[in-house]
Amino acid sequence: MTITKLKLNLGPQHPSTHGVLRLILELDGEKILSCEPDVGYLHRGMEKMAEQMSYIQYLPTVDRIDYLAGCFYSELLCRIVEQALNVELPDKVRAIRVMLLELNRIASHLLWTGSFLMDLGATSPFFYTFREREMILKYFEKLTGQRMMYNYFVFGGLRKDIDYLEDVQEIINILPKKIDDYEKIITDNPIFLKRTEGKGILDKETALNYAITGVNLRASGVDLDFRNGDYLYKGFDFRTIVLEEKDSWARYKARIMEMRESCNIIHQALEYLKTAPTLEQRLINPLNLKLPEGDYSAQIEAPRGLASCFIRSDGGDKPYRLKWRTGSYYSVNLLRKLLVGEYLNDAIAIAGSLDFILPEVDK
Amino acid sequence: MINAIKSLWEGHWTVFKHLFRKAVTLEYPEKKREPNEAFRGKLTVNGCIGCGVCKRVCPSGAIEYQKDDEGKVRSYSFDLKKCIFCGNCAYYCPKGAIKMTKNYELATEDKNSLCLNYKGGADD
Repeated sequence: MTITKLKLNLGPQHPSTHGVLRLILELDGEKILSCEPDVGYLHRGMEKMAEQMSYIQYLPTVDRIDYLAGCFYSELLCRIVEQALNVELPDKVRAIRVMLLELNRIASHLLWTGSFLMDLGATSPFFYTFREREMILKYFEKLTGQRMMYNYFVFGGLRKDIDYLEDVQEIINILPKKIDDYEKIITDNPIFLKRTEGKGILDKETALNYAITGVNLRASGVDLDFRNGDYLYKGFDFRTIVLEEKDSWARYKARIMEMRESCNIIHQALEYLKTAPTLEQRLINPLNLKLPEGDYSAQIEAPRGLASCFIRSDGGDKPYRLKWRTGSYYSVNLLRKLLVGEYLNDAIAIAGSLDFILPEVDK
Repeated sequence: MINAIKSLWEGHWTVFKHLFRKAVTLEYPEKKREPNEAFRGKLTVNGCIGCGVCKRVCPSGAIEYQKDDEGKVRSYSFDLKKCIFCGNCAYYCPKGAIKMTKNYELATEDKNSLCLNYKGGADD
C-alpha cells in the first residue's frame, strides 16, 4: 500500500492560532508526520527600532511586545537602566511593581484560560474569564490611563503614586471564588479530560533541550521559577507550582494554580501598601540618559516563560544593540516536536495549551 | 462514570445560574462609557513655552515645531495620525501645557483635521 502524504497549511489567518501563526503540516490521513512553524507575520522590528530611539522614546513601545502582559517588558527595560546607573528602588515602588505585575499575570492567564477552552470548543468559560479580566483592565485604566499599553513604570520608579487600592482588594476577594467556578465547569469535565489528558506530553529532557521556561516547564516537573531569586519579590512568600503530569491538562492546571498563588502575592503587597507612607522616589532624568559603555542584561519571569533583555551600549543615548528573549518563541519551536504523531484535531488543543502569543514571537 | 455525570451537572448548573444576570454590554454609540480621569485620549495644548522637551520624548515623531530666525519656536503641530497616546509629552512637559482629554472618538472624514496646529510658543 502506498502512503499518500498531504501537506496542509494551517493559518496564518486561522482564528485559533492566537495571532498570525502559520503551521505547515504533513499529514498521513489525520496523523501528523511533521510540523514546520512559519513565523514573522507580525514582525515590527522592535530590536532595530531601539537603535534609533533614545531610551525614554523606546519605553512606551515595549508594552507592545506582549500586549497581554505589557508591564513585564516595561519592567525589564527600566530594570536594565536602573541597574546600569545603580539606582536602588524604594520598598514601596517594589511592592507596587510586584502588585501590578501579578495583576497583569492573572489577566494574561485568564485570557489564556478562555481562549484555550474556546480552542477545545467550549464557549461559556471564554465570557466568564473575560468578565474577570475586565475588572483588572478597568483597574489598570483607572490607574494608568489605558487598558493595555500602560507606560506606567519609568526609569527609577513609577509615573505616579498608587491609588484605588479598594479596587484591587475587591479583585482579590472575588477572583478565588470565580476560579472555583471555572474549575467546576472545566477541570473534571469528561470531554475536557479526553481532549487534554495524555495529549501533548512534554517530558523533562525535551523541555530543557528546547529551552522551554515558565509554566510549561513547571508542568513538566522542573522546579524553576525565576521569581525566586528576583530582587523585586524579596520578602514575598509564595509557592512554586510544579506538576508531574507533563500533558496539556497539567499545563492548564498549573496556570489555574498559579493564578491563585498570584492572588496570594497581591494580597501581601496590598497589606503592605495600605499602611505604606506616600511615595518618595528618585527618578532618573530621561532627557540626558546615557548608559555607560558595556553590556547589560536583565531577566524576569513573564506569564509565558523567561523574558530577558540584553543591551550593548557604546556610551551614547541610544542602545548600540538590543535583544529580547521571549518565552513564546521557544514554545512555538517546540511544536515541531510535540505535534509529530498526534492527530490533526488535537493539534490546535496542544498548540493552545503552550500559551504562546505571536507578537512576542515575531517582536 | 458517576464522577463524570456529577462534574457535567456541576458545570451545567454553574453556567445555568448566569442566565439571570444583568447584561454588562452597552449599546454603543447610543450609550457610551465614561472614561476615567486618567484616560489618555486626544491632546490639547495651552501655555506652551517652546522648550521642545515633548519632541525629544515622543516615540513616534508626532510632534513638529518651526523656529524663527532667532531660534525661537513660533508654531508647532501634533499629528494624531502618528500619535500612540503614550502620554510621554504630557508627563514630561515642564509647564503642564499638554493635557490628554477623555475624547477617544477620532474618526473623521478629513484627514487633516487630525493634525493639531498651534501658533505661538516662545511668547506664551
